[in-house]
Amino acid sequence: MTFKKHLLLLFLIPSLAFTIHKYYVSLCEIEYIEDQQSIQIILGLFIDDIEFSLNKTHDTNLYLATPKEFLNIDEYYETYLNKHFKIKINNNNKNYIFIGKEYNDDIVRFYLEITGIQTLTSIEILNNCLFEDFEQQQNIIKIKIKNNYKTLYFDKNNNKGLLKF
Amino acid sequence: MKKLLLLNITILLFTTAFFAQETTSNKKRQKGHYNINKFKQLNQELPTPNNQHNASGAPGYEYTQQRVDYNMNIILDDENQRIYGEETIAYHNNSKDELDYLWIQLDQNFRAANSKSNDVNGSGSRSRYTPSNFTKSFMGKPFDGGFNIEQVTDINGNPITHFINQTMMRVNLPTPLASGEKFIFNIKWWYNINNYMESRGRSGFEEFSDGNMAYVIAQFFPRLAVYNNVEGWQNMQFWGSSEFALEFGNYQVAITTPDDFILNGTGNIQNPREVFSKKQYKRFVEAKNSYENPIFIVTPEEAAETKKGSSQKTKTWKFYAENVRDFAFATSRKYMWDAMAVKLNDKTVMAYSLYPKEGMPLWEEHSTRVVANALKVYSQYTFDYPYPHATSINAEMGMEYPMICFNYGRPNKNGYYSERLKKGMIGVITHEIGHNYFPMIVNSDERQWTWMDEGIDSFVQIYALEKYDSKLFPTSKYPKNIVGYMKGDQSKLAPIMSQGDNLFNFGSNAYAKPAAGLFMLRETIMGQELFDHAFKTYAKRWKFKHPTPADFFRTMEDASAMDLDWFWRGWFYTTGNNDIGIKSVKKYYITDKPTERAKNIVKRYGMTIDQLDPALYLVLEGSEEFTVDLKNNNPEDFKILNDYLTHNFSKEEKIELKAPKYFYELKFEKPGDLVMPIIVEFEYEDGTKERKQYPAQIWRKNDQVVTKLFPSNKSITKITIDPDEQTADVNLSNNSWPKNKETKFEKFKKSQIKG
Repeated sequence: MTFKKHLLLLFLIPSLAFTIHKYYVSLCEIEYIEDQQSIQIILGLFIDDIEFSLNKTHDTNLYLATPKEFLNIDEYYETYLNKHFKIKINNNNKNYIFIGKEYNDDIVRFYLEITGIQTLTSIEILNNCLFEDFEQQQNIIKIKIKNNYKTLYFDKNNNKGLLKF
Repeated sequence: MKKLLLLNITILLFTTAFFAQETTSNKKRQKGHYNINKFKQLNQELPTPNNQHNASGAPGYEYTQQRVDYNMNIILDDENQRIYGEETIAYHNNSKDELDYLWIQLDQNFRAANSKSNDVNGSGSRSRYTPSNFTKSFMGKPFDGGFNIEQVTDINGNPITHFINQTMMRVNLPTPLASGEKFIFNIKWWYNINNYMESRGRSGFEEFSDGNMAYVIAQFFPRLAVYNNVEGWQNMQFWGSSEFALEFGNYQVAITTPDDFILNGTGNIQNPREVFSKKQYKRFVEAKNSYENPIFIVTPEEAAETKKGSSQKTKTWKFYAENVRDFAFATSRKYMWDAMAVKLNDKTVMAYSLYPKEGMPLWEEHSTRVVANALKVYSQYTFDYPYPHATSINAEMGMEYPMICFNYGRPNKNGYYSERLKKGMIGVITHEIGHNYFPMIVNSDERQWTWMDEGIDSFVQIYALEKYDSKLFPTSKYPKNIVGYMKGDQSKLAPIMSQGDNLFNFGSNAYAKPAAGLFMLRETIMGQELFDHAFKTYAKRWKFKHPTPADFFRTMEDASAMDLDWFWRGWFYTTGNNDIGIKSVKKYYITDKPTERAKNIVKRYGMTIDQLDPALYLVLEGSEEFTVDLKNNNPEDFKILNDYLTHNFSKEEKIELKAPKYFYELKFEKPGDLVMPIIVEFEYEDGTKERKQYPAQIWRKNDQVVTKLFPSNKSITKITIDPDEQTADVNLSNNSWPKNKETKFEKFKKSQIKG
């Protein structure tokens, strides 16, 4: 049923009220703060979509962003992100710290941080969040490094990007 | 003479910056240019007003509008999911023109096997195909949809020639139709109803697991295209996105369904005693006095009793609708029906909801109440709802027709629903009910301008939702909800003033951005009183007529005495965004000793400062001339000011006068393309706050930087631009002084540690 509804939403785009999100996008903002040697990442996903994917993976109902949500829900999120969102700094895989999440309307935002980056020569991002469940999913990455702005657009055929400085 | 000289010098003192600029770059020959001022009037963008759409944005004295009346007999075949119709159309040519042919919209042909609708869309490979999708897409068995036009005849039954061009049909008139004449003709047709759960659609059937069907039926009959004063015949194909343009008229419709079906549609049921059971009829009448709570006309128990195949009989529902632009209906044997009366000034209208048990308990709790609330709020912002009822049908979509709309929202099997689902459902019902006003009554052309109905409806929706549940729907998220979209990649943005099929991001472009813009106009730029009167004027002027964007823009100015061309230009005609920041803050103190700056200017004119009358001067804090004792000066302590006050004012008046102690020179920058008011919040050393709003016109003469001297009695500790995010500023990093370097990320991190 849920799947049907999502499939429907995929197609039935024009006539819906704007209270329904009619597009499948995520936005990830990455910023390098040089004096803190820190890379700050904010990744926002539609709650409905991530819930659909997590429910399917765990064969359960997680009731995200409701009072019925599990207390250890962050573990589910972290596991999912570690699998679908990966960063390489200066050609090395880097783990990020899961600072926390916030719910805002229909969106969940994850705050992730990589510390101890003294110099930054390259950054490689893999983001295939939601691609396996949503045909039209597009993941947008906005990067700000030393006053350079760059936007990357990922879809299921192209889920990786490399930037060199 | 001396006075005149003094005046000149005073002017000079103010304009030194200007002089300095002029002397530095004289080398390159400068080029002239057209008027590129952002406050330039929209004469080139808006069509020239005429006697049909006049200069104040109202219908002119030569405005005309066609009228089309329909009489239809419809048969719904539940066994084969087919629908058959015979319609008699009376076309009234109210225009001054003679017509050789009529154009009729065949929107169902969008779903025809040979439709070109798919050909205009790019397509890639997909990872998952349902068997029915796969068969349709690759095995030569596309859905056999689209109209089968069996005959087009005149009133005597003689065939009329016609020609079908995709979703449009030309009916060739036997003799040209003169102005003021009417033409009556018949069309007989049928089509296969689509399963809207499988392929996109605004109408169709849904099959439940028990084998029962629910039909939401719309754009189901050949409908006359609009012939108006602006476009002539509406001649854009229906590609599936941009919706409809239709004429008003009266509808007489008879719909035959299986005997155990429940049905509601556009207009009043003419034969309620025939279609309802005795008990249902009694409750149908009783509901007209139930103002507090909805009551069931068809109860959940009655809905549960009906079973597929239990009856082979049929019944016929008869409807009459006056002055509507379209007709739609929904029917199923699974529907229950609840009802509530809504008082609007001196009239009562009905709020109805029809839903299967799958909608319970959410629909019983909210749907009809949401309809009633929407009717009240939209009436308040425009005019009293002119139709007898508004009905919300539970279906897995959101789509609007006159008096009836189809809305989603189903709890899971256990009856559980999340706040998000509830929110979405209340939002969609409010929105679709609101479409009764825009565009069903204030009848803009949806095919051309999606924003005129979606955007304006989404705007009023904000207030209707707030009224329904202000906790669930706070208005504080507007207009900042649009910032993410507006700061996006410019190559993926289109101005609001774009035809609906050509948009990149339909939802943000045609719904959210115009709604956020109007919200800003009402709350920040015009103020509620001025806006509400103008908005109401627009709605009343164009009620049951065909307005264009220019009529909206012009009326909003006409009824408010506010020039808003700059706002329409920026927000509706461009993809620009707003970014206003504070660039620098300089603090000055008052003194009666001439400063170097003043002396230098006087010197330029071959004079010395003592040739002028004594005056007051400003000293920049931190400059060479600045001394700490200046901080303790009160302007009234200076003899020249005190003497002036004593000579010119009475004692009582003098007490009232208060001189500011500090002078702040604020330099605002505007990296953004849009012009907007500057909202500044000053926070003083004693913790108090004050706000000042400079009108957008502050950017008239310099589109990048403006300077403003702000006098104050108290020392300022903090300045914030647009502290409540009322102007959709896309970059908040330059909005405060002293500069706030903390990123959104750091703010969150801090809150996590605290928490």
